Amino acid sequence: MNILSIAFKEIKQDFRDWRTLIFMLGFPIILMLILGLALTNAFSGDLSVGDLEVVVKDTTGGGPLSEAFAAFTKEAGKSGITFDSLPAGKNGRTEVENNRYVDYVELSGQGISLYGSSRSTIESNIVQGMLTSFADKYNAAAAVAQTEPAQVQAVFAGGAGSDYIKELSIDADRTPGSIDYYALALTVMVGMWAAMPAGGLIQREILRGTAVRLVTAPIRKSEIFAGKVLGGIATSFLCVIVIFVFSKYVFKAYWGEHIGIVLIVLFSEVIMALSLGLAFSYLLKGSASRGIISLIVQLMSFFGGAYFPIGDDSGGGIMGFLVNLSPIRWGNHGLTQVIYGNDVSAAWPAVGLYLGFAILFLGASIAAMRRREGL
Amino acid sequence: MNVLDIRGLTKKFGEFVAVDNMSLTVREGEVFGFLGANGAGKSTTINMVSSLLRPSSGEIRILDRDITKQSRFAKLNLGIVPQDLAIYEDMTAYENVSFFAGLYGLRGTQLKERTEEALEFVGLCDKAKSLPKNFSGGMKRRLNIACAIAHKPKLIIMDEPTVGIDPQSRNYILTSVRNLNESGCTIIYTSHYMEEVEEICSRIAIVDHGKIIAEGTKEQLKSTITDVKDIRIEVKSALPAAAGALKAIPGVRTVLQEENMIRIHSDAAVDNLNRILKQLLDDGMEIRSVEEQEPNLETVFLTLTGRNLRD
Repeated sequence: MNILSIAFKEIKQDFRDWRTLIFMLGFPIILMLILGLALTNAFSGDLSVGDLEVVVKDTTGGGPLSEAFAAFTKEAGKSGITFDSLPAGKNGRTEVENNRYVDYVELSGQGISLYGSSRSTIESNIVQGMLTSFADKYNAAAAVAQTEPAQVQAVFAGGAGSDYIKELSIDADRTPGSIDYYALALTVMVGMWAAMPAGGLIQREILRGTAVRLVTAPIRKSEIFAGKVLGGIATSFLCVIVIFVFSKYVFKAYWGEHIGIVLIVLFSEVIMALSLGLAFSYLLKGSASRGIISLIVQLMSFFGGAYFPIGDDSGGGIMGFLVNLSPIRWGNHGLTQVIYGNDVSAAWPAVGLYLGFAILFLGASIAAMRRREGL
Repeated sequence: MNVLDIRGLTKKFGEFVAVDNMSLTVREGEVFGFLGANGAGKSTTINMVSSLLRPSSGEIRILDRDITKQSRFAKLNLGIVPQDLAIYEDMTAYENVSFFAGLYGLRGTQLKERTEEALEFVGLCDKAKSLPKNFSGGMKRRLNIACAIAHKPKLIIMDEPTVGIDPQSRNYILTSVRNLNESGCTIIYTSHYMEEVEEICSRIAIVDHGKIIAEGTKEQLKSTITDVKDIRIEVKSALPAAAGALKAIPGVRTVLQEENMIRIHSDAAVDNLNRILKQLLDDGMEIRSVEEQEPNLETVFLTLTGRNLRD
């Protein structure tokens, strides 16, 4: 009860701070509008699967997987996706790295391996989605083959041959426009902004002198901590929801068919961001922590593609490393696959990373808090 | 019955000993004055009683229960009025009191009644829905008190509750302290205003260098310095070097200069007034008035600690 009471008080105070609230909500909405309109031409409006070229290496020496994959490539070819065999002496990964193909597929006794291009994320995601669909169907057929060999063909013939394509769930009419891109990127960025007020979550109580009252009340420090964290998460996530709803219904941004999954990713991101801010405030005592965390969030936003889709052209090297280090990139990447690749499973790595780091940061904060006298 | 029992309390910050083996008892129904100059160990002691700091050693008992072993019980029976305001400026007066009272387990009708009662007690009923950021300093101080009393604690610690406010608000707060005491609360009161302490405290402890150096009623404390006379000399303009020469006069214990007023504590048995005045005249000072006063609490404090309370 005390936890909820403290959380509710936090939410109340945050929403009364209308100057901060206007900035938290107004800035991304205006930015979304400006960047979305100004950079319309920077986003390809006619991205086509016909442009996709995939290189394949088959080391199975024939067999059911090879045969099934040949049938799959034939069907996929009707949609303009070409699967070329890897020429002898060539390295599939190098071919992708050199941007000659969007993906490299390797068939072996172990199954199917995919090496995707980080430069052509969307194209690579499409192929990955198709292959996931194919693998599911092939696994189903393999299972059937063990009990009812005669029914194997029925599994593949269960739908039309082009089912491979249909199951990919690519909306032929939908490609990510600039508003779609910035709706996603800036909403993910707002989620990361939870780190900034979190830096002052405990500090504010100390500065206002109210920490004395909280600590002398008959409640545990862990309850104060939990209440404040809960309140901070609720406020930040409500801001994210407002941006999400605004972009979806006012700017008509496309958020895909899996809204629940999208919100889970954003929620886990808010938890991580808040934990990061909190850990910084404990480890770097004083107001300096807020300045540092603001700088870090801005760098994360930049490298994560919040202002420009920098990740798609980053390639490898230091830039690629920094891009992949940004938690905003994790969310953008995962959600792009969920929204445009219809690949729900792509959300879980992002959620896992967010929650993993959240546990790490919260653990560090709790350890620091327990060592302290007072709050 | 003892509301607060402190036994052998020590707090060290590295090598520095802020509170040194202190023992103290506050009995039920007392308004206990806790006096000490800045850095004497007064706030550190209060912070340990309030569970804000962990003692290095020693024992603190509130209503006969160890506060480290039965922390919840101790906290339920304790109200804190910190020296620095501890209120949320962006929450109304009612929300402030209600929030803090809620942390003490008050809910529903009881919470509402106690909140209203506390606001009424400090005279802020008509400002219940106003934000403290629009309050005067005195009103904020009163709200600070309301937040500490809504849960009806047995022991209230008031740390400089009247600092920086107008005389009207100060009188209101002092009346509130008396009323609280009459309603059964035991109060520990610290202040830099000696006249406040003399006026409302039934017993007083003087702390210096982390130790209690004197304890008792104000009469008992004053009786400890019957051998001291308090001479106040007003001069046209006091010279900074005057104190040194005066201290050399036999019988003079302490010399304190406050603008044009020179205060001298001297052995009552030594007749040295003429020598003191001669010294001042020799130093070129023009004497306006000379007064020998009965020792008061300030004299006691100055004599025992050698420091002014505001030092």
